Amino acid sequence: MKPMLKMMRQLLGAAPWAMTRGAALALVVLLMGAALLGLSGWFITATGIAGVAGMGIAFDVFRPSAGVRFLALGRTAARYGERVLTHDATLRALAALRVDLLRRQARAGARALAQLRSETALTRIIADVDALDGLVLRLLLPLLAGGCTIVLAALALWALVGGGVALMLPLLLLPGAALILLVLARRSLAPASEAEAALQRLRRGLIDMIRDREALILAGQIPERRAALAQVDGQARAAAARLDRADRGAGLALSLLHGIAVALAIVLAGALVAAGQAGAAAAAIAVFVTLALAEALLPLRRGVSEIGRMADAAGRVAPETPAEGAPDSPADPVPGAPAMVLTTPQQQLILQPGDAVALSGPSGSGKTTLLLQAAGLIPIPPERSVTFQGRSISQWREADFRKNVIMLPQRSALIAGSVRDNLTLAGPAEDPEIWSVLDAVDLAEEVRRRGGPDALLGEGGAGLSGGQARRLCLARALLKRPSVLLLDEPTEGLDSATAARVMAGVRAYLPQAALLVALHRGADSGLFQRRVTLG
Amino acid sequence: MSEKPDRAAARAAEARLIAPVSPQLQRAGALSVLAGLLWPVQAGGLAWAVSGWASGTEVMQRSLWAAAIFLVCVLLRALLEHRAGALLFRAADRVIGGERARILGREALSREARGSAAVAALCVQKLPMLQPWITRYRVAALKVLLLPLALLLLSGWVSWVVALILLVSGPLIPLFMALVGMAAEEASRRQLGEIASMNDMLMDRLSALQDIRLLGATERAAADFEQRAEGLRARTMAVLRIAFLSSTVLELFAAIGVAMVAVYVGFSLLGVLTFGTWGQPMTLSGGLFVLLLAPEFFQPLRDLAAAWHDRASGLAVAQELAEAETAERLSVLGEGTPATPLAGPLAVEIRSAVAALPGRLLALPDLTLKAGEAVALSGPSGAGKSTCLMALAGLVPLAEGEIRVCGRLLDGETADAWRARMAFLPQRPHFGDMTLEAYLGGPDADLETALDLAQAGRIVARLPEGLATRLGERGGGVSGGEARRLMIARAVASERELILADEPTADLDAETGARVIRALLDLRGAGRTLVVATHDPALIAALDRAVEVSA
Ligand SMILES: Nc1ncnc2c1ncn2[C@@H]1O[C@H](COP(=O)(O)OP(=O)(O)OP(=O)(O)O)[C@@H](O)[C@H]1O
Ligand SMILES: [Mg+2]
Repeated sequence: MKPMLKMMRQLLGAAPWAMTRGAALALVVLLMGAALLGLSGWFITATGIAGVAGMGIAFDVFRPSAGVRFLALGRTAARYGERVLTHDATLRALAALRVDLLRRQARAGARALAQLRSETALTRIIADVDALDGLVLRLLLPLLAGGCTIVLAALALWALVGGGVALMLPLLLLPGAALILLVLARRSLAPASEAEAALQRLRRGLIDMIRDREALILAGQIPERRAALAQVDGQARAAAARLDRADRGAGLALSLLHGIAVALAIVLAGALVAAGQAGAAAAAIAVFVTLALAEALLPLRRGVSEIGRMADAAGRVAPETPAEGAPDSPADPVPGAPAMVLTTPQQQLILQPGDAVALSGPSGSGKTTLLLQAAGLIPIPPERSVTFQGRSISQWREADFRKNVIMLPQRSALIAGSVRDNLTLAGPAEDPEIWSVLDAVDLAEEVRRRGGPDALLGEGGAGLSGGQARRLCLARALLKRPSVLLLDEPTEGLDSATAARVMAGVRAYLPQAALLVALHRGADSGLFQRRVTLG
Repeated sequence: MSEKPDRAAARAAEARLIAPVSPQLQRAGALSVLAGLLWPVQAGGLAWAVSGWASGTEVMQRSLWAAAIFLVCVLLRALLEHRAGALLFRAADRVIGGERARILGREALSREARGSAAVAALCVQKLPMLQPWITRYRVAALKVLLLPLALLLLSGWVSWVVALILLVSGPLIPLFMALVGMAAEEASRRQLGEIASMNDMLMDRLSALQDIRLLGATERAAADFEQRAEGLRARTMAVLRIAFLSSTVLELFAAIGVAMVAVYVGFSLLGVLTFGTWGQPMTLSGGLFVLLLAPEFFQPLRDLAAAWHDRASGLAVAQELAEAETAERLSVLGEGTPATPLAGPLAVEIRSAVAALPGRLLALPDLTLKAGEAVALSGPSGAGKSTCLMALAGLVPLAEGEIRVCGRLLDGETADAWRARMAFLPQRPHFGDMTLEAYLGGPDADLETALDLAQAGRIVARLPEGLATRLGERGGGVSGGEARRLMIARAVASERELILADEPTADLDAETGARVIRALLDLRGAGRTLVVATHDPALIAALDRAVEVSA
């Protein structure tokens, strides 16, 4: 419940003015609808009475009929305004929420990022956010506007017709509707949340199946996986069917409640007329206004049956405690300081501009860990320290730091789109630059064969060979022209001739950068001035 | 217009989607019409009671009767609608379930240009958009045929002028609706397209999130995504705006019609207008009755107009389904089903084969392989080593030449049985969303021996959750070399005779690499056959012979 309120505040707060106007218009629509029917009923009845009495000529037809026209047109216009305002404000808030979720995800530490399952994050950003669109539109606004309309209509009837009928409305409709909605909320909570959970599982499972397709085919597991997904779909649909039953039940109950209110209004108003306490035309108002309240009453159930789904989604999406604050004031480089200094209890590694240092050691000796620490992606333990241009990296603002220090992780990913899209992931680049960096990693020929940098790749860069994909990742890092370049196994998956060409290309492309390269093979190449062994 | 065939396909999809549930829809529509026919009874009762109040005749008696009639009709109406709702839900559920099953079956086997997230969005997010179309359009169409006509006759019975007013203003609504419908379909199509691209973009960005962070591109990626999210908002809003605007205009038409009826009735009651009521003066009950009927005359027309929008977005989905059905796909040989292993002694022969990659043909080296051999495929990056292994596994179709396995042609018939004899280590580690135990072969396999043989026993022991760990997609949670060794352990545990390994010593230091090579040789010693794509000189040297792959 709490996250739901939080999200409700966030949706309202994103565009408070639009939401306020929208809410006011929602109320106006309902009130004008009630007034319209009430006035029409009064008008016809009154003209009928006047006609019978032979006073037709004296009857003022124009003011009431102008009122009818005003209410009819005004209500229509108000409804349009309300819908556009509230939907637009909600959709804007949701779009912003999606972006915020992506940002939050990106801020996670390196380990969390490596272990992230994209399909899980995807369902959060797409499905959970979608689930919240009814929070204001279908839950909060109809409840507020409907409740207010019933109370205001009762007050108006009190003034125009008299006590009994007026009291009946709030006394019957408010508790009656509350009861029906409470029952609906309880009955729909579990199926709504199950249906959504199963659909999210289906989405994740389908993505997983597609991305893992080849392994499944090789293992002969396709039918098994299909059956599992079909079962998840079955669960989703079974829950949806239960939800639909609860929903339709509430619809039936609300219709009945409204019917009872109208029937009572007829009897009570008739009694007033019989007792001579109200005229026929005034009494007609009571009946017609009650008739119009259907519009306030019946839509209430829509949002309520979604509560289970919305509460779950809100719980997953609501912001947790804000991440640790990064320094706001930009750090200045210390003049004359080395590009980077890595200090461990065993050794101190000083990187000057133009240096190239090979980092070697057996599998599991911590090469990747050291590089990730140098890149500021995982916390640095107290016995180690890393400085960039003389300042500890915790003093740097992330944006400034990343402009200068770039790391190529061991397992990099490409994106769908063109070769150019991949290269410009981090920033725009002109064609000559693109060709020169492709040359540096020995990919220019392959890209030319494919018709240039606009050649398309599949999901995750599919369509390139393993070594080509690796080189494209490297090119993407080079294009940023960092002053410190940290490479984790940049030439893995390449034959030694290509590997040597690529490393030479890197050096030539960035002559001034300090290179720190973790690698298993080729650490003895003439390119490196020094070699550090870990473990 | 190049859109024509697409539209034809969409209509065909419409027929395919709706036809099977047509009887249910018809029945639900009939129930709805019945419910609608109850309104004149309620309206008549009300008008009769109020006219009693005005004339002072039988005030309480009429009120009680009218209230009772109203209540009974409400109950009947609600029950009818409830029942119709159940029928409609089931019909939509059936259609959506059927389409889901189709998508699952299709996507399990073949790849198309769109990304996995877009496919999942179609299956999970967009299919439910068929529901309003299925549940509303047919019913609304049936109601429009019957209800307005019935109400028109009833109103005409009281006054032909009222009937005339309704008759003139009513048909404006479907006319307007048809005009708007086309714009609505186009807008819906754009919205669907935007949903697909947003899903795909997000999926890719999330998969590459660590790279994006390290490249300092978080803000840029967020800005790109913001553009997409904003685009989706704009497109969704465009769809909604058309719907809101058209429903507003229709409401206006209806309001004008009702107001004209009210004015006519008012003036007739006052005695100013004296025509149109079949010679008799207009009575209060008659006037109230037609006034209560007038909005209900327009309601089915307005419902149809609203359903027209649902149909537009439903058709857009149907079109996307039709496109997915006919999209060009890269299919594999066989069905990926469990099969009894292909009989006969193990043998492989590649003869002047050319692999058909999307947009490119790649010649494969000739190769003859007997049981117990260990062959290396070597060659520069991009030469076609991996493609050769994939072709051997039946994952890449051939454009020319042939591959024979165990003396039979490798084709759709033999592929599954052939794969049942083979284990495959891909070049790019990818871990499905499952526990390590399931990945390695499940609880029945001899995991311990396999892990030891692959030098991977310590890796699992070190993981806090052991075999219950779920790794990231690309093996996040273990190092690159460790992921590689887990892949080898999986191949060993599968106990298949032929092992196709793509770069098994990648990401390993020389010493671990040597141990993995020894493990592979042990497997060969135990009677397994190896085909290894590699550029690692130590590994090439350790195997029986090397086949050079050159582009
Ligand atoms: N799905 C695909 N669509 C189009 N071209 C492809 C596809 N997969 C691979 N290629 C191209 O086919 C050629 C051979 O690729 P393959 O993956 O077989 O090379 P490889 O020898 O394994 O290289 P590496 O040593 O880099 O892994 C490459 O030029 C590659 O770009
Ligand atoms: Mg390869």
